[in-house]
Amino acid sequence: MLKMTHISKVFRTDLVETQALRDISLDVAEGEFITITGPSGCGKTTFLNIAGLLETWTDGQYLLDGEDVSRLSDYQRAKLRNQKIGFIFQSFNLMPDLNLFDNVDVPLRYRGMKAAERKDRIDRALDSVGLLSRKKHLPSQLSGGQQQRVAIARALVGEPRFLLADEPTGNLDSNTAEGVMELLQSINAAGTTIIMVTHDPSLASRSARNIHFLDGYIADTDPNTVVGQLEAVS
Amino acid sequence: MFIYYVRLALLSYRRNPILSSLMVLAVAIGIGAYMVIFTLNYFMGGDPIPHKSAQLFHVQLDYGNPSFPDFDPPPQLTYIDTLALLELTSRYPRTASSKFVGVVEPDNPEIRPFSVSGRGNFSDFFTMFDIPFQYGSGWDRSADEGRQQVIVLSRELNEQLFGGIDSVGETVHLHGYNFTVTGVLDNWSPVPKFYDVNNGPFDPIEEAYIPWHLIVDLRMDRAGNTNCWQAPEGDGFQAFLNAECAWIQFWVELQDRTAYEDYLNLINNYAAEQKSFGRLQQPVDKRLFDVNEWMVEQEVLPDETRILSALAAMLLAVCLLNTVGLLLSKFLGKAPEIGVRQALGAHKGSLFIQHVIEAGFIGALGGLLGLGVAALGLEGIKVLMGDLIVSDWMHLNLTVVVVTIVLAVVSTVIAGLYPIWRACNINPAIHLKLQ
Repeated sequence: MLKMTHISKVFRTDLVETQALRDISLDVAEGEFITITGPSGCGKTTFLNIAGLLETWTDGQYLLDGEDVSRLSDYQRAKLRNQKIGFIFQSFNLMPDLNLFDNVDVPLRYRGMKAAERKDRIDRALDSVGLLSRKKHLPSQLSGGQQQRVAIARALVGEPRFLLADEPTGNLDSNTAEGVMELLQSINAAGTTIIMVTHDPSLASRSARNIHFLDGYIADTDPNTVVGQLEAVS
Repeated sequence: MFIYYVRLALLSYRRNPILSSLMVLAVAIGIGAYMVIFTLNYFMGGDPIPHKSAQLFHVQLDYGNPSFPDFDPPPQLTYIDTLALLELTSRYPRTASSKFVGVVEPDNPEIRPFSVSGRGNFSDFFTMFDIPFQYGSGWDRSADEGRQQVIVLSRELNEQLFGGIDSVGETVHLHGYNFTVTGVLDNWSPVPKFYDVNNGPFDPIEEAYIPWHLIVDLRMDRAGNTNCWQAPEGDGFQAFLNAECAWIQFWVELQDRTAYEDYLNLINNYAAEQKSFGRLQQPVDKRLFDVNEWMVEQEVLPDETRILSALAAMLLAVCLLNTVGLLLSKFLGKAPEIGVRQALGAHKGSLFIQHVIEAGFIGALGGLLGLGVAALGLEGIKVLMGDLIVSDWMHLNLTVVVVTIVLAVVSTVIAGLYPIWRACNINPAIHLKLQ
């Protein structure tokens, strides 16, 4: 469902030119759970932003569900993000002055959905992460793990085809991270494609495929090798 | 989505109450100051009799001295020309009028004689200008012709002399003569006082009205401007009346174009005839002015209002420039939220609308507070002006309120365009990682 061919990304300023991604080619099938690993600055997040149509790329071709998304307008890209892609961030990125219901409501608002249908979907999404009873609470009244569950509910409420998760457990303790990982695995088991950036080799080992980035390249796609190297380092 | 965006604007206000309040205050001060001047201009330059202003015409003749090319013809007529115009035709309602002052001696010995401002005018004056009456009415044309000693009182003078009761038929002792009351005016204060703009367009109306001929017959003490371009030949009141001295306003009501053409033809012929006698040598561009044309011709709006308007507009601009800076700070501070919204499906257009509504929300609050500032400003002007001018009309009516709110919203949105554009064009990827 996601096919990148020779994608590269160069960040340019007046003084500096930085090659963030170099000749990335990747094919992600429907229902896959892929983890992205690599040292800081190797291009993981840039890759995720390009995959999520939040960042443009310098060269190469990107097909999403067979559609070339290179020349889409801002409106078309936003529509694709809203309907096909869900985002989960390391720092949750919940809006602090909206309660849980309204936070989860955000993507549906941009879809122009009727109020009754929105409420039904939001309740179901919050229920799926075990937080329906707290829908009137503000994010600040929740623990980190609970906030990340709300972020997952927000990513899922629009029933996207795939989830992009940027270190979703990075700000959580190991127990809470385990709970979030189990939740993501159950979501994947239900058919949603997931691409997750992580620094945690134990989490990476639980995905079907791990892609290791190094200096903007894909260094390895063999999960055992890469995870083994990371474990040795850690 | 509109209500959703308004709710987001409210939440955004609560998130940064100090910054938001500063913006509201800046808009309020700028708009409030501007609306004080706008209100003054609106009323001072407004149409004082909108339903008839196009049918009432002030007459001006080619009066003046041709040896002084810069000499502007005065806005009034001489006694000779006034009598001639009165004789010219009575087909159309018309009135000459001029001011006087007189002393009233009340019947009540406990009230001492006092001076009143008065106006000599024709019976048509009351109907032409739709003057409302509390009691009775104006006199009729026979009283004009018969030079009867009748009088119409202002509501205030009737209160003073008769305790506010229906005084029609009562006698008023004015200037040593007895006048019979035919009517008492109801509240009436046209702004500007269009029927006599050259004697204080914002003065209060006169307290007593008598048939115009009596000003001459009873030698009333005339008041108001008198312009003579030639010294009277001889002494005494009759010499003054025969002189080239302009002191009388003349109005005529012409209901349609035919009447206008007819009357214009009459006065053109009169002017041509007088010119052949050696009078009326100073040409004028126009001889008939409707009410609004007359207000413009006589520059009823003082120059000071233009200067004040410019100053108020500059203050508004400064306040809005401050608002630009504050909005820039606020909207760029929302970059992480904007990034998240983009990730969740918001396109630049929807973000633009969201922030336009947020700027409009701040503008509306600024407008509401600006109404308070404007009301305070107008009260301050009333205190400063004291009794110099009538100030009852200085208030915020519905039109001014609507203009204030609309101006506040529109100007704040315009001030917000650059900050909104900047906010909508952030790179979401940067802010999502940094949040």
